Amino acid sequence: MNRRKFLSTAGNGFGGLALAHLLGREAAGAPKGRPEFNGGLHYKARAKRVIQLFMSGAASQCDTFDYKPALVKLAGEKWDPGEKVELFQSNPGVVMPSPWGWKQYGQCGKWVSDLLPHTARRVDSIAFVASLISKSNVHGPATFMQNTGFILPGFPSAGAWVSYALGSESENLPEFVVLPDPRGMPPNGAANWSAGFLPAAHQATSIRVGTPTPVHDLFPPPDNGFITDASERDGLALLGRMNHAYAKERAGDSRLDARVASYEMAARLQLSAPRVLDVASESEATRKLYGLDDKVTADMGERCLVARRLVERGVRFVQVWSGADNGFPRRNWDSHENLAKDHGELGTALDKPVAGLLQDLQARGLLEDTIVYWTTEFGRMPCSQGSKGRDHNPFGFTSWLAGGGVRGGVTWGATDEWSYKAVEKPVYCYDVHATLLHLMGIDHTRLTYRHNGIDRRLTDVHGHVMEDLLA
Amino acid sequence: MKFWAVAAMSAAVLGAAPVSYQKEVHPILAARCAVCHGARNASGGLSVATVASLLKGGASGPAVKPGAPAGSPLLASVSGANPKMPKVGAPLSPEQVSVIRRWVEEGAKDDTAGAAEETWWSLQPLALVEAPQENGWGRTPIDAFLLRAMRAKGLEPSKPADKRTLARRLYFDLTGLPPSPEEADAFVRDARPDAWEQLVDKLLGSPRYGERWARHWLDAAHYSESHGYDKDKPRANAWPYRDWVIEAFNNDKPYARFLQEQIAGDVLWPAEPQALVATGFLAAGPWDFVGHQELREGTVDKDLTRVLDRDDVVAQVMSVTTSMTAHCARCHDHKFDPIPQRDYYNLQAVFAGVDRADRPFDDDPAVYANRRALWAEKLALQRRLQPLQDKIEFATSEEITALDVSIQDASLLLAHLGAPKTPAEEAEKSELEARRGAGRARRKVLVDALVGAGTYAAAALLEQEMKAVDARLSQLPAPRLVYAPASYFVRAGTFRPPLGPRDVYLLDRGNVRAPKEKAEPGALSCVKGLDARFATPPGDEGARRAALARWLTSPANVLVWRSIVNRVWQHHFGSGIVDTANDFGHMGGKPSHPQLLDWLAVWFRDEAGGSFKKLHRMIVTSEAYRQSSAQREDGVRVDAENRLLWRMNRTRLEAEALRDAILTTAGTLDLAMGGPSVRMFWFKDDHSPVYDYARFDPATPGANRRSIYRFIVRSVPDPFMDRLDCPDPSVLTAKRSTTITAIQALAVWNNPFVLRMARQFAARVRDSGGGAAEAVRLALGRDPTPDERQAYETYAKQHGLANLCRVLFNTNEFMFVD
Repeated sequence: MNRRKFLSTAGNGFGGLALAHLLGREAAGAPKGRPEFNGGLHYKARAKRVIQLFMSGAASQCDTFDYKPALVKLAGEKWDPGEKVELFQSNPGVVMPSPWGWKQYGQCGKWVSDLLPHTARRVDSIAFVASLISKSNVHGPATFMQNTGFILPGFPSAGAWVSYALGSESENLPEFVVLPDPRGMPPNGAANWSAGFLPAAHQATSIRVGTPTPVHDLFPPPDNGFITDASERDGLALLGRMNHAYAKERAGDSRLDARVASYEMAARLQLSAPRVLDVASESEATRKLYGLDDKVTADMGERCLVARRLVERGVRFVQVWSGADNGFPRRNWDSHENLAKDHGELGTALDKPVAGLLQDLQARGLLEDTIVYWTTEFGRMPCSQGSKGRDHNPFGFTSWLAGGGVRGGVTWGATDEWSYKAVEKPVYCYDVHATLLHLMGIDHTRLTYRHNGIDRRLTDVHGHVMEDLLA
Repeated sequence: MKFWAVAAMSAAVLGAAPVSYQKEVHPILAARCAVCHGARNASGGLSVATVASLLKGGASGPAVKPGAPAGSPLLASVSGANPKMPKVGAPLSPEQVSVIRRWVEEGAKDDTAGAAEETWWSLQPLALVEAPQENGWGRTPIDAFLLRAMRAKGLEPSKPADKRTLARRLYFDLTGLPPSPEEADAFVRDARPDAWEQLVDKLLGSPRYGERWARHWLDAAHYSESHGYDKDKPRANAWPYRDWVIEAFNNDKPYARFLQEQIAGDVLWPAEPQALVATGFLAAGPWDFVGHQELREGTVDKDLTRVLDRDDVVAQVMSVTTSMTAHCARCHDHKFDPIPQRDYYNLQAVFAGVDRADRPFDDDPAVYANRRALWAEKLALQRRLQPLQDKIEFATSEEITALDVSIQDASLLLAHLGAPKTPAEEAEKSELEARRGAGRARRKVLVDALVGAGTYAAAALLEQEMKAVDARLSQLPAPRLVYAPASYFVRAGTFRPPLGPRDVYLLDRGNVRAPKEKAEPGALSCVKGLDARFATPPGDEGARRAALARWLTSPANVLVWRSIVNRVWQHHFGSGIVDTANDFGHMGGKPSHPQLLDWLAVWFRDEAGGSFKKLHRMIVTSEAYRQSSAQREDGVRVDAENRLLWRMNRTRLEAEALRDAILTTAGTLDLAMGGPSVRMFWFKDDHSPVYDYARFDPATPGANRRSIYRFIVRSVPDPFMDRLDCPDPSVLTAKRSTTITAIQALAVWNNPFVLRMARQFAARVRDSGGGAAEAVRLALGRDPTPDERQAYETYAKQHGLANLCRVLFNTNEFMFVD
């Protein structure tokens, strides 16, 4: 038995065949979650689903979660970290304190800036990673890295890997959904949620929340001129009959049966998708909790609420973007020029909805097996760029995790006195991804896909589970 | 003595032949242990590369004691409830452990007969084999090879498919389009003995053939018309390369020449403008706009940008041409194949003198000759000018640095401010502009003082000369442009021409901060009989690419000739003789028919002279190609994957073929060839350009052209094509995957394009005076059965023809090829 044969047999051994066919997967078998592991693939899963919040453009750690008294004490003085500093576009300016004040919160006493007072109240359920580093100082490659583990295009997103590993919990909804910022695409566009070389079935379905056609091609365009409810119903019935007959004459080709099933699933998706997007059906209290009653927070609030409704119905991985591209007027976190204004607007729009999401998930018992993962492509410098902005900082930044199997109220690693460089337990996204997969019952070293000569992994050849963050 | 008896007995009891180290043990160790214990990276001193190295062992002694599994640390570390090894991935399976155990029991014999890595199949010389003499079936040597393998497993081939099925199969395969019902009928009626060959020749002679097969090549080359990454700018001038590929297929350019032009056409045939266009191949992949055009010279990230850019070119060229994964040796020697890290960086050095940029050319060779001469002058001038310009650009002092901060601050705040909306903003804007203006003026004074008048004067002289050359250039007719590798182009932002090969160093663990020794241009040292080091004149970037082109296309390059026949075979049969077209290394598949592969490679190289059309003809006129695609129980039992080709493989249409088939059936296909691609999206150029497919205006000229003329965007794929498995254009795609999903069903069922075509198709049927039966005939190429006819007619009567046409586009029969 050669390795290839062995692997494909092992894949089938996971009982994936029947389901794989129904979902139209390649017969040779995407692995699938196993019931005896609570849906995990290699061992028991603590979490079943993920909501990833991505701050596009690079959210500043030293204005949110990485408190450094030195920045206040030495405000306006020449910044001297004791080495040559190579910045993305500028020469280092002076020490720049955050425009926001800082307070301690919760049992754990975590310092959080006044930019995010609502999120701050949830710190006891959050595990912060304060010592992240990135391999690139450029938005495109760095955004790829946080999503796919590689600074090059063409690799599968974490959500695609999870979809490939665990498949669907829902018969009626896709495994991996992305909710882009209505202001536009982040750097790299849809390539951030690509399936890369994984079968296309694992790429994200993009839902444009709050638009007339949130899902591409879910329904025929209204101005089509010839489709009626009856033609739709009878047409699908006729198509099913013809496709079934064609498949029957060609017994043994599972793809043909999968095609028949795919239209049935499509019909279910048509029913379930509008329902899941209908946030009006939520109680007034819930809508308020997410900030839907306030123009400033309504957009992010609606998308966070939709994210909850999606995971509640079995979607594996939902990615919510805060921020679009790096253009002007500023529409993401890339605050080179005026941090107080731009971070201020984005942070305020984000804070209440995210806190609401955490609270709501907890109240519904969903936080137990749902991970909320807040991240960004890199951080920002503790010195000023020009007079009011901050340049890129790939040497130290913060992400956080909460929920499913994550220990709350802890902080992993630390940056130096400036919030410039990760000095204590520095990690790349590999370790966060390894931990995320671990919580979902997946050994990141064993989730592989052979592409152009390499057994590719989300974590490349790196990654260690961050044991200290596990509950 | 006693041991040998036991071992012999246990083997006899098991009824098994002795374990082969080479065939059974080595593959397990290579796949699972060599990552850390390879010949070149022996952790703890232990290498599992050879039997000798296992016997020698590492720091803690021999890993294997022949005949004594219990005394062999190798076995102890991989077996048991919690095996210590491998550290990465799943433990070895019980079967694998037992193979190793038995091999040790049997004396740990080495059956590699002294041969090292060269025993790997793809690196062996091409076998000069005769086609076997098998009787009773087939018409070509291919059939004889296949039949012999089938019979060895007790299988017989399938019956030929019916003529209508064959016509549809061949049309889609060679042209990517369905036959019209008339064309299919004509073939069905054609009783000439060589009717099939006639049809093959007709289709290979059709311009549609090049459009079809160019798509396969462009997939492999990860060709796209935007850069990818952040600020995904469109490439307005990529398409001439796409047209070159189409023409190359249509004109049956021999494979050696086909490759040579794409790697170094501008060097090898400098007078031929199309040979320059061919090099668009090397620029086909993604490009980091921000890294190249905005990062400052001399920074680590700038170096990283260039290393990764060349990495993309090396990965593409070597995967596509040699089917070797040279790119796996960027951080360390290749873990599985005999590719040292040095080879990889030597390949990077081949491309160290070029960047991706627009290059001018002219269709008129005389004008082109003038232009090249003038650009050569410009290059020579720029080489002298550059050091002077650098002196000015990089002049610095503390005060200049401080001014830079202030100037940039003002610029940033101005950009952030945008158009002022209030008097206060108006005032702010004037203040910032004033500050920036004063800063710039002061900066100039400081720089001038530092640089000195002599430098300026020298630069001014050269700039004057440059202007004179530019004036002569401007008298030539406007050039055409192609996006291609370039060593000289006009600087944009911080994107400056290399003007000659940049230095390339081996990088420790691929880290740009840890350079080791300098790399020299060269290729893979594992290909025997070819010089892997290129003796090229220093500073001559073109000579490096020319040397690689010659290395690749040498008759001695066994990888290249095997690779291409396998690639072509794969597209005809749906699966290659080697099922990993981009990987002929230890981690790839092995040939199902090694002798056939070699026979084809030799035949293609020597007798067919590298003619693709002859190769297609050889393959599709085989009896094997004409078999029915129906499943057979006896076949499934022996060979469910159909590696032996006891039947034809049924395929689902690729995204492009489906879209083109819909256009054909609707009667709307626009067969205009070549030229700029059709932007089937709404476009807005911005900081990050916006590509919106939902806002596409279908009245756009060219909207109904073949899919090969679609403008392909890297960051935002066309959702319709995407859902039909059209690959991510940043991935080197050797073979497309076929998925079937609900989201895909919705796309074919509801996408505005399909619905528009359903209406047009209905109009076509109505105009011809036909009804449901005619629609079926046009869509499926056959008449409906009475039952079908009744069902379709009833539906059309109730809901109209357009609705019926929509259903027909969605049928399995429309989307699959038997």
